[in-house]
Amino acid sequence: MTDRFHHPDDREARSAARVRALEALLIEKGVITSKTVDTVLNVFETKMGPFNGARIVARAWVDPAFKQRLVADAPAAIAELTDLPEGMAGAEGEHMRAVANGEGVHNLVICTLCSCYPWPVLGLPPYWYKDPTFRSRAAREPRAVLKEFGLTVPESTEVKVWDSSAQIRWFVIPERPAGTEGMSENQLAALVTPEAMMGVAVAASA
Amino acid sequence: MKLQHYLGGLEGLGPITVETRVFVEEWEKRIFGIHTAMMALSPQLPLPATPSAFHTVWTWAHLRTGAEGLNPFDYFKYRYYEKWLGGISGYFIENGYITEEELDARTAEYLADPEKPLPQGGAPEIDRRVERYLAEGDSPKRDVAILPDFQEGDTVTVRNVPTLEHTRLPGFLRNHSGVVETVYPGAYGYLTDTGTDGVGAPMPVYCVRFEAKDLWPGNTEPNVTLYADLYAAYVTKPTA
Repeated sequence: MTDRFHHPDDREARSAARVRALEALLIEKGVITSKTVDTVLNVFETKMGPFNGARIVARAWVDPAFKQRLVADAPAAIAELTDLPEGMAGAEGEHMRAVANGEGVHNLVICTLCSCYPWPVLGLPPYWYKDPTFRSRAAREPRAVLKEFGLTVPESTEVKVWDSSAQIRWFVIPERPAGTEGMSENQLAALVTPEAMMGVAVAASA
Repeated sequence: MKLQHYLGGLEGLGPITVETRVFVEEWEKRIFGIHTAMMALSPQLPLPATPSAFHTVWTWAHLRTGAEGLNPFDYFKYRYYEKWLGGISGYFIENGYITEEELDARTAEYLADPEKPLPQGGAPEIDRRVERYLAEGDSPKRDVAILPDFQEGDTVTVRNVPTLEHTRLPGFLRNHSGVVETVYPGAYGYLTDTGTDGVGAPMPVYCVRFEAKDLWPGNTEPNVTLYADLYAAYVTKPTA
């Protein structure tokens, strides 16, 4: 890892003080409440996050017909899963599409302009996804980039790169790892990472 | 047109930074929360009014316009949420919610005593609206009868539109041709008007397939295809 995310202590202390000052002023001026920021963060800890995507992928692994419906119409298929939290078609999830890895095809989602990401099913984008170096290189040399993530994709496998620059938010259904035949959906969901659902990794082996 | 619009395919960059955290500093969570609340409280949304003093429009597009409007060297100097903190504080100052002097003075107080508590209070309707916005979203899809000019399988050429501060057109696709993979049903608006760049009013959106070897001849990897979702304003008939 480079030292891009490490800075002198004072830089962070100043930003921390400035954002706290801003939050305090916005509370005093009646723009937000003293609970607003924590309310937002709580949604991303309990309702919108990669735990939803992992459950959706696990269902797709055990039910091939569901997987087909998920690829054909992701919001409708996700709406079938009534045990997910509310808001799967909420902010940044209004128009989602899923693409499935399979024999001879590997999918990778990028956003070369900013950080488009399907919040309800994946939560907020990790830093690697927002890194300008990733955004630049993944478009032209995806295999070289994937190798740096530890994933080797042979030339015989087509790499499909999806650049989310309009209103559609994408995620990847990784392949089910070998040796997981007897596992429950909950156990399977534990193998699915945000990185696997954006295509820079595959699902963990059992 | 800015370097930040042309990121796709830039050459000569170093290794990827594989940082899987969403926030690398605790303070980044706070500016994310403030931004999300601003989106939720923005008055153009069809949500019940609240006693919030927030009365001006703030959307994703405003955040992006600020970031893309930066000098490119500044754009790459600041970390992701540092750009947010700069843009959002500037917005509250420019729109008269706070003054720069107030913000500087309060910053000095929290720098001296980081544990100093935040003020308490505020109307609970504000937080209910924020939760409701997150759960319901803000779909840009519009129910208007606009027929797409292109069908799946058609070849289209990406226009080289005059872009000022903000665009939804990845620069590396300009003047290249691809094949329409999907015509999304309906029409999609955008959160702001990008002016001569061409996006704002509802229009069809296409998913267009490009061969990497056509985008970067001799300078890419074999067996790579790139798909981009593009507003109709960004594509035209091939001239040849």
